[in-house]
Amino acid sequence: MPLPLEGIRVLEVGTFVSAPYCGRLFAGYGAEVIKVEPPGGDISRAHGPFKDGVPDPETSALFLYLNTSKRSVELDLGSQAGRDAFLRLAADADVIIENYRPSDARALGLDYERLRPVNPRLVLVSITAYGQEGPYAEYRSNNLIAFAMGGQMFLTGDPDKPPVKNGGYQADYQGGLNAFSAANLALLAAERDGEGQHVDISVQHCMAPILEAGVPFYSYNGLWLGQRRGNLMSSFMGVYPCLDGQVGVHVMARNWPPFAEATGHPEWLEDERFATAESRREHDDVLMAEVIAWAAGMRKKEAYALGGEFRAPITFIHTMEDLLESPQLEARGFLRRIEHPVAGEASYPGPPWWMGPDAWRDGPAPLLGADTQAVLAEAGLSESEIAAAAGAPA
Amino acid sequence: MKAPLAGIRVVDLTMVWAGPFGTRLLGDYGAEVIKVEGPGQWDLLRGLGGIPRTVDRWYNRAAYFNHNNRNKYSAAIDLRQEAGRDLLLQLLAKSDVLVENYRANVMDNLGLSFEEVRAVNPRIVYVSMPGHGKTGPEAHYVTYGTNVEQLAGLVSVSGYEGGEPLKTGFSYGDPTAGLAVPAAVALGLRQRNRTGEGVHIDLAQRENLTGFVGEYLVDYSMNRELRAPAGNTHPHFAPHGVYRSGGEDRWITIACENDEQFAGLCRAMQREELAEDERFATVAARKANEQELNAIIEEWTSTWGHYEAMHILQRHGVPAGAVLTIPEVMSDPQLRARGAWSEQVHPDAGAWEVETPPWKLPRTPGHARIPAPGFAEHNSYVFRDLLGLDEETIARLYADGVTADEPNVQSHT
Repeated sequence: MPLPLEGIRVLEVGTFVSAPYCGRLFAGYGAEVIKVEPPGGDISRAHGPFKDGVPDPETSALFLYLNTSKRSVELDLGSQAGRDAFLRLAADADVIIENYRPSDARALGLDYERLRPVNPRLVLVSITAYGQEGPYAEYRSNNLIAFAMGGQMFLTGDPDKPPVKNGGYQADYQGGLNAFSAANLALLAAERDGEGQHVDISVQHCMAPILEAGVPFYSYNGLWLGQRRGNLMSSFMGVYPCLDGQVGVHVMARNWPPFAEATGHPEWLEDERFATAESRREHDDVLMAEVIAWAAGMRKKEAYALGGEFRAPITFIHTMEDLLESPQLEARGFLRRIEHPVAGEASYPGPPWWMGPDAWRDGPAPLLGADTQAVLAEAGLSESEIAAAAGAPA
Repeated sequence: MKAPLAGIRVVDLTMVWAGPFGTRLLGDYGAEVIKVEGPGQWDLLRGLGGIPRTVDRWYNRAAYFNHNNRNKYSAAIDLRQEAGRDLLLQLLAKSDVLVENYRANVMDNLGLSFEEVRAVNPRIVYVSMPGHGKTGPEAHYVTYGTNVEQLAGLVSVSGYEGGEPLKTGFSYGDPTAGLAVPAAVALGLRQRNRTGEGVHIDLAQRENLTGFVGEYLVDYSMNRELRAPAGNTHPHFAPHGVYRSGGEDRWITIACENDEQFAGLCRAMQREELAEDERFATVAARKANEQELNAIIEEWTSTWGHYEAMHILQRHGVPAGAVLTIPEVMSDPQLRARGAWSEQVHPDAGAWEVETPPWKLPRTPGHARIPAPGFAEHNSYVFRDLLGLDEETIARLYADGVTADEPNVQSHT
């Protein structure tokens, strides 16, 4: 069985996280992804964390992870020769993914008006902080700023402290996954009638629908709490310290009896203060103290096992070590061992979803410019054209 | 031009958030989505709207439910009864896609496993999206959105600098799973179109979200060192953080990645001498003296509104953005200019603003076409028009409680 996206050719002119994550998903599910890197390489190569803490453009964990199964072409889009070469590649591509500010993208020759004439079925996917148009379209942004402008940051953190972002590059990853879904819808449409389009992803707009009940309660009911709630959202939803880490609970009304059983507190079920969801909310402080005391005496894996046994939504905070040791991930083969010629062997997350045993592939991230010659020669460029397009050695 | 998923019929058995958000996106981009709830097994979000149960049809008025279920039809079928299962299989025989987000073994126990559905529709794209996936020793564990982010490894690397692991602001695992659904369905449809055969997609919510912290996993696997939460800081750059602005609990983010941007910040603050100051003159120096620098910046930001400071800084080429509250997100000029909101009128719930489909596909645009369905609102469409059942059969379904026009309000108390 061919891979789900076999036969699709993608050019990724992306830097850092959002466009490369989108490209990683394309590559994993079988598309040929050609990563077009500026002379010197994607900035994530300079970012780390590096193997053994020693900076090396081929051993940045961020780059290694985001660029699995891709080819790398070093191309100077700042030069006419580089832009000409890129147009040759674009003529034969199904998808281009880019994440520059609109004016920067135009300067690099990535505008749809220029690309469409050479390839009308092309799907150009632009991931930006704010979208292609509007008063902030040219504003500078990054993961932290996008997290703030999308409304997620204000909600995150402790009530008596400043807002804080989530770990890593969550706004950028959201942009990448949104773009992957949108790009595949556009591909479906293009395969139907041979016509491409310019897909416009605004990370800010992608965030608005995922603020949980915040938007609908405000928009419809006029309610807005306006407060961060930290780890202690309520007695039935939170993260609590335990003997060797933290446990998390998320108890909906129907999980209350199993939760009381799993925690070894069947007497809670007889307690009038905790008889209904409403009365539990009324006595939230009392119940929270009980839950905190319960957690404090537990080991994390023991609490998790009890949750499983009693069907109560109790988990523990998995560190990266816990993920590598997870029997669940092990049984499902989610962690993939990948050998990289410079960085060596390491474990990588597998596919975001499974669709049969042979639907995902695990190639290492490419060395910088490893495929420049082969890809540009395939596109019909001469040796001297290739040298000019790739730019001066960094 | 037709929407990308025009002509695709989706049977939606999902409830609460992750699944309904995913199927809402399918509806946004043109699929016909039929949400199936049981008369006694309805989506519990219908009950979480804060609407008193003395109000007529309170179960159609919950903002949270209506938010996640626009662009869908609703039919009531009790899947626990044999006749209900048969009815669903008849519907699936005429559909392209099934999406479900039950715990791993629920569909199998209902006699609705992939194999059983494939027997009536060999071309079905069957999407399961349980927390842990369909297999493995933890597959039967109960898990919700905040559990998902804990299992994914995200919470362990989130939090204030030097602090404890921290929850995200909401059930983050849910929408991140929903966002993957259109891509998973598109890949499934593509495969079906090519091979003529259906496919079972197993989207484990925790695995999907682990993909959002993959670099931490690769790093740990190479270096065997756990990274502590880093708050708003950046490993190399400063300033990179959140600063108090004027107003109660109002904040602005600023992130300078090079000397040019930092010089812009100094100009904006009318403190140009700082760009030459040896404590701050280079990227490395700024990172080393980050605390001191942050105090200077906050002195300036606290004299401005967060939006004002953002506009001033951007005019000087400095990456900066206000930390928007939900009311501010809804009034934000950029989102307004993009058309991110549109008014929707619901026959029971009234009019209010909802987000428009997030991705602009100009040739095949998405639309917020119809409001969320009332409970069982489209029973007649599904039973009469789609399945061609006669009146007598339909009457029996009602009499036997296989379907109903109103939910059993005794469940989900």
